[in-house]
Amino acid sequence: MTAIFPTPAADEDQRLLSPDELEAALRDIGARRYHNLHPFHRLLHDGKLNKDQVRAWALNRYYYQAMIPVKDAAVLARMQDAQLRRIWRQRIVDHDGDAPGDGGIERWLKLAEGVGFSRDYVLSTKGILSATKFSVEAYVHFVAEKPLLEAIASSLTEMFSPTIISERVAGMLKNYDFITKDTLAYFEKRLTQAPRDADFALEYVKQHATTPELQRKAMAALTFKCTVLWTQLDALYFAYVAPGMVPPEAWQPGEGLVAEKTTAPAGGKHGPFVGSDVPRLPRGVRLRFDDVREKHVLLAPERTFDLDDNAVAVLKLVDGKRSVGDIAGELAANYAADRSLIEADIGTMLAELAQKRVLER
Amino acid sequence: MNAPTPALVPAEVIPAPVGLLAELTHRCPLRCPYCSNPMELDRRSAELDTATWLRVLTEASKLGVLHVHLSGGEPTARNDIVEITAKCAELGLYSNLITSGVGGALSKLDALYDAGLDHVQLSVQGVDAANAEKIGGLKNAQPQKMQFAARVTELGLPLTLNSVIHRGNIHEVPGFIDLAVKLGAKRLEVAHTQYYGWAFVNRASLMPNKAQVDESIRIVEAARERLKGELVIDLVVPDYYAKYPKACAGGWGRKLMNVTPQGKVLPCHAAETIPNLEFWYVTDHSLGEIWTQSPAFNAYRGTSWMKEPCRSCDRREKDWGGCRCQALALTGDAAATDPACSLSPLHAKMRELATEEAAENPPDYIYRTIGSNVQSPLKEKAPL
Repeated sequence: MTAIFPTPAADEDQRLLSPDELEAALRDIGARRYHNLHPFHRLLHDGKLNKDQVRAWALNRYYYQAMIPVKDAAVLARMQDAQLRRIWRQRIVDHDGDAPGDGGIERWLKLAEGVGFSRDYVLSTKGILSATKFSVEAYVHFVAEKPLLEAIASSLTEMFSPTIISERVAGMLKNYDFITKDTLAYFEKRLTQAPRDADFALEYVKQHATTPELQRKAMAALTFKCTVLWTQLDALYFAYVAPGMVPPEAWQPGEGLVAEKTTAPAGGKHGPFVGSDVPRLPRGVRLRFDDVREKHVLLAPERTFDLDDNAVAVLKLVDGKRSVGDIAGELAANYAADRSLIEADIGTMLAELAQKRVLER
Repeated sequence: MNAPTPALVPAEVIPAPVGLLAELTHRCPLRCPYCSNPMELDRRSAELDTATWLRVLTEASKLGVLHVHLSGGEPTARNDIVEITAKCAELGLYSNLITSGVGGALSKLDALYDAGLDHVQLSVQGVDAANAEKIGGLKNAQPQKMQFAARVTELGLPLTLNSVIHRGNIHEVPGFIDLAVKLGAKRLEVAHTQYYGWAFVNRASLMPNKAQVDESIRIVEAARERLKGELVIDLVVPDYYAKYPKACAGGWGRKLMNVTPQGKVLPCHAAETIPNLEFWYVTDHSLGEIWTQSPAFNAYRGTSWMKEPCRSCDRREKDWGGCRCQALALTGDAAATDPACSLSPLHAKMRELATEEAAENPPDYIYRTIGSNVQSPLKEKAPL
């Protein structure tokens, strides 16, 4: 997104902006600093993170979600206008829900559970990165200490919440085989809440930032909030992508998870193949050796799939009789490799082929 | 215009073709106004005999072809369709029956299944029967198609529905998607009309407007998301509103060979519209010789024939300059940049033309027929 009006240059620092110029300047901050531009976010969006990296993200982001009502209560405590409070308190309701089992925090817990965490481990906040905690708490302190206008302006990152499906949480997570439909079902509500909240806050800021100084403070507050979000992804990237330095006591892959079941289908029809699934090539899909090009190819309606050696080794054993477990067993014996690792790998590979409708179970 | 001098391409650097489009016959009970067959249709008496087709398939297999598209016309109009399909299976060639599903198609389906047919692509002209039958120019076609589709899935054969999209059915895109799911198809092709041959003549009757096209794309994208893992939807966007052209047939002489009913071998099904190209026949040469040496295949193979802006373009090996037939039809020069490309100086004019035609009342369809002398109703005939 590029702003129609650029952020005012230094030489006009003290000029009073029109409400529309102020809005453009605020949007420009998002266009340059919102965390959807962060490399970690891009990896997440493109389906390039592994399961443990998605877990680390879900776990840390829970802390942010859980603290949002605390932050909003701090904002609320400073509002002396009942009408304003009535509007703002809706944010707390949205996050906490009206009853147990409802609300945004609960939805995030479901997501964390969906990627394998035990609920209690997530609630304990034990494995959260300290950088996550520092930045989230800095946000709470900021709204408690700064004037109300700045507190409200800092919430304006909601203006940049994505509207296109693929950039929303549910859209991004659809790239991952291990995310189930049930997990994603919890993300429908937020679609309408964010725009509504942002509209109100934006109008408030445009109306109340009536001097050049107040306008600059509102912009600074929004910039601060962008750094709160950005820093959290920096920390995740550093700990779980590269260089992969996990601080002492922070979550390590394998911790806090509910024991994975290997017999029940993890994702039903669309999830990864598990040990007991029996894969087969449907009619209309054939594996054959191409004598001219001297390699195996998978022939399907209107398409030819080039296969790497691993895929060929697996597909040669796919006969509608052997289970994934059987195939993993044979490959483990042939290649002297760990059977459970192979089983997980081929479960994902087969699911990818199934999604392209060239494999069934 | 003269055809360019054939480039001297050493045979060993030409990659083997992967697909063979076998146009077994031009006979067809349907008369679709966007038919991809040439304006001058081959008559039954000119068609290749069975033995020649079997030889062509054998040569194709040796050459490296993997997919054979048994097409037409209506391929099941051939009495030897089962024998031809069985030969594909024997050779390990992937056989794809591209059919209208009408006429004798259903009566031969079980035998085709037994012969080892791999896949069926069924054309559907519309969702509403009256509309579909108006477009296809054949009464009572729709129930036959539905019966045919039901038998395909009953047999366990994978089914693709192919819908050619134009202003007469673009409102039915959601319906095509629902129909594909209902019939148990695994794939749906939402193929916006490509304006060559019959479709070029009928362009003013077929061209949708930009808003309709955008909406159809949005619907397909949403459905892809919703039906992930259930239905694969391939979308062919219309050139006239595109930014970049399509690599026609995957690039001229790179992937596909097209054999006409009388045995002429073309780099794409519309290539005969380009004058002065020398096509070779399977009755005179082997398929391998034709692939590597025939003047028509070498005329626009690779990039050395290109002019600017293609010649120095970063995308020249992505889209291979687009479609030669469209370049000829719209610019008068088959070696020009396809005007579908936004880098073509004629691109804006092409879009303007589409916009104007889409805004006017559509003229009646000119249905395809064998042996007619068709007059194009286009106000602005080629070139732009």
